[in-house]
Amino acid sequence: MKQTISGVVLFCILLIPPVRTYMESIMILHMLVQLPLLILAGWLAGKVVIQKFSRFFAKYNENGVPGITLVIIITMYWMLPRAMDEALTFYHVELFKFLGLPFLVGIPLRDSWHKLKAVGKSFVYLNYLPMFGLMAWLYIDTPIQICNNYLEVQQKVLGWGFLIITAFMVLYIIQFVFTDHSEQES
Amino acid sequence: MSAVISEKKSRNNLVVSYLTVGGIIILAMMVFGVLMLLAQGGSLNLSPAAFYQFLTIHGTGMVGAAALAAAGVMWYFLSKYVELSKKIAQVNLALFLIGVVMVIIGVFSFEYASAWTFLYPLPAISANAWGVTGALLYLFGMLILGIGFLLFYLDTGRAIIKKYGSLAKGLGWDVISGKKAEKDAPSSTIVASTMVTIVNITALTAGAIVLIMNIINVINPAFTFDPLLAKNLTFAFGHIFANSIIYMAVIAVYEILSKYTNRPWKANKPFLIAWTMSTAFTLVIYTHHMLMDSVMPKWMLIMGQVLSYANGLPVLVITAYGALMIVYKSGIKWDMGSGLIFLSMFGWVVGVVPAIVDATIVVNHVMHNTKWVPGHFHMYMALGACAMIFGFMYYLAKEDSNVEEQIFDKIAFLGYTLGILGLSGSFLVSGALSTPRRWATHFPEWMAPANFGAAAGVLTALSLTMFVVHFIRYLSNRNKVEMSPESKKLA
Repeated sequence: MKQTISGVVLFCILLIPPVRTYMESIMILHMLVQLPLLILAGWLAGKVVIQKFSRFFAKYNENGVPGITLVIIITMYWMLPRAMDEALTFYHVELFKFLGLPFLVGIPLRDSWHKLKAVGKSFVYLNYLPMFGLMAWLYIDTPIQICNNYLEVQQKVLGWGFLIITAFMVLYIIQFVFTDHSEQES
Repeated sequence: MSAVISEKKSRNNLVVSYLTVGGIIILAMMVFGVLMLLAQGGSLNLSPAAFYQFLTIHGTGMVGAAALAAAGVMWYFLSKYVELSKKIAQVNLALFLIGVVMVIIGVFSFEYASAWTFLYPLPAISANAWGVTGALLYLFGMLILGIGFLLFYLDTGRAIIKKYGSLAKGLGWDVISGKKAEKDAPSSTIVASTMVTIVNITALTAGAIVLIMNIINVINPAFTFDPLLAKNLTFAFGHIFANSIIYMAVIAVYEILSKYTNRPWKANKPFLIAWTMSTAFTLVIYTHHMLMDSVMPKWMLIMGQVLSYANGLPVLVITAYGALMIVYKSGIKWDMGSGLIFLSMFGWVVGVVPAIVDATIVVNHVMHNTKWVPGHFHMYMALGACAMIFGFMYYLAKEDSNVEEQIFDKIAFLGYTLGILGLSGSFLVSGALSTPRRWATHFPEWMAPANFGAAAGVLTALSLTMFVVHFIRYLSNRNKVEMSPESKKLA
């Protein structure tokens, strides 16, 4: 219950107009803070939802693959520069962002992640790693302004943000493969 | 019992496929090598465009095929210790073949000729020597091929972690740190496989990044990237991947000599430390390919020189010394398998010397763009890594069938050794004469060593044909012979 309340509170904070406007005024905050926090809100609140609709999730997301596919499709969409632009320009895209990320990403992510096998989890992780790297290159190297709402310099900052995330993901893999997992094996 | 035999047969089938594809491609690539030397020697009229296409296919094909065969060797022995996925190994082979077909079509049908280095921005800017289709076929072919290998090494890494707990334990760090006794150290096969897994996953990732960047640049030249970063990624990929061939093939040395002499090849602390050093240094010494790039940070170039000395030597010394010790007074029965394996020690030791000379910055500025460098890697790869692979082919034929070695095989052994020594020697002499490498046309003063090299190449190719004939005899014989679940006694 504590988690659900935290999720709802977080979601409400993100809805507060000054918070929303400030986060959306800076490209890196929009992409790498607001969007992940919306997902986190859904993930936190998702515990109760999943319990309440356990039969639905058991039927339609039996092995976690449908849920994680939905997660990947929606998060990929939100990595596109024009998606952020449109969120600021069209209210229905903004609405989709605030509803889609918690409900169609956060909740399915929570339900799917523990259902996925190790290979599936590795696949998802290794899929995001190069995607983030590619986004880093795109945002750092693009010589023109690709969003109407953000300056070129903001794009570059976002690109470096993506690069730092990629670097941490690589470091995580390195620590994972070099630390002992023999106790975890059955 | 029959399940064990059928499992062993199925495993051998897969390894045999790797070796057959690898062996045939290496032989075909030798023909292109001879044709290039004949053209440089003025004995064959080859257009420059055709020469550079041959250069591209020769470099790409040789490294790719040797890597595939060496991966087969590694898979064969590693699967005795850990549970590898046969499906992944099959997927790797399938992707390899698809990639090879794409590369061949790109090179010969669409005249793509950037050499294996595909140095950015050359694939996109060829001055009309080739078009977008040729470049994309080559780059995508390489990418598909790389993905296959990446899956292969992800699987070996997974299997090692599953059995031993971590890659650190696969390298024997718990033994090095004293937490575990030397007697409980992982086998030499596990240590070498862990090293190769680490370095090749890194190399293939770097390769995939630079290939994708090049593909995007070819499709839309408005997308550009730092050429120096591209060159770093290209050589991080190419150097490590090519270097790893010998580290995969050396597993055959550890396993086969141990079997022939009935003596265990123990992984002691110096052995483990040497392999850890090679793991770390192999990843960072590619900068010795860039010693002429004045814009590189100086510290990276100095690192390239110093660590190049420190990289190969520990494992080389410990392996060569170990090979001498294990054979000494063992009563080993020499045949083609053990002979080629032992020859590979000589090839590795001698072949590494010109490389270390070239990794010295002051020498590199004079020698790196000459044929001195092919002199190094032909000896190192052909007399070192490939001799290990061919030795393994003879070993497998002996263990898995009743095919007898003949006098022709012994003649081929001699021919192969002399051929490679002649070929590498001709390259080294050309280097000493300041003959530039990768040039389609030579001045008359440079032609004699090229022609000598071509003759030596013909001798090598004929000898290799004999090796392949023996392997084909084994292929036709193996299914007629009843297999024992136990391995044959070879000593």
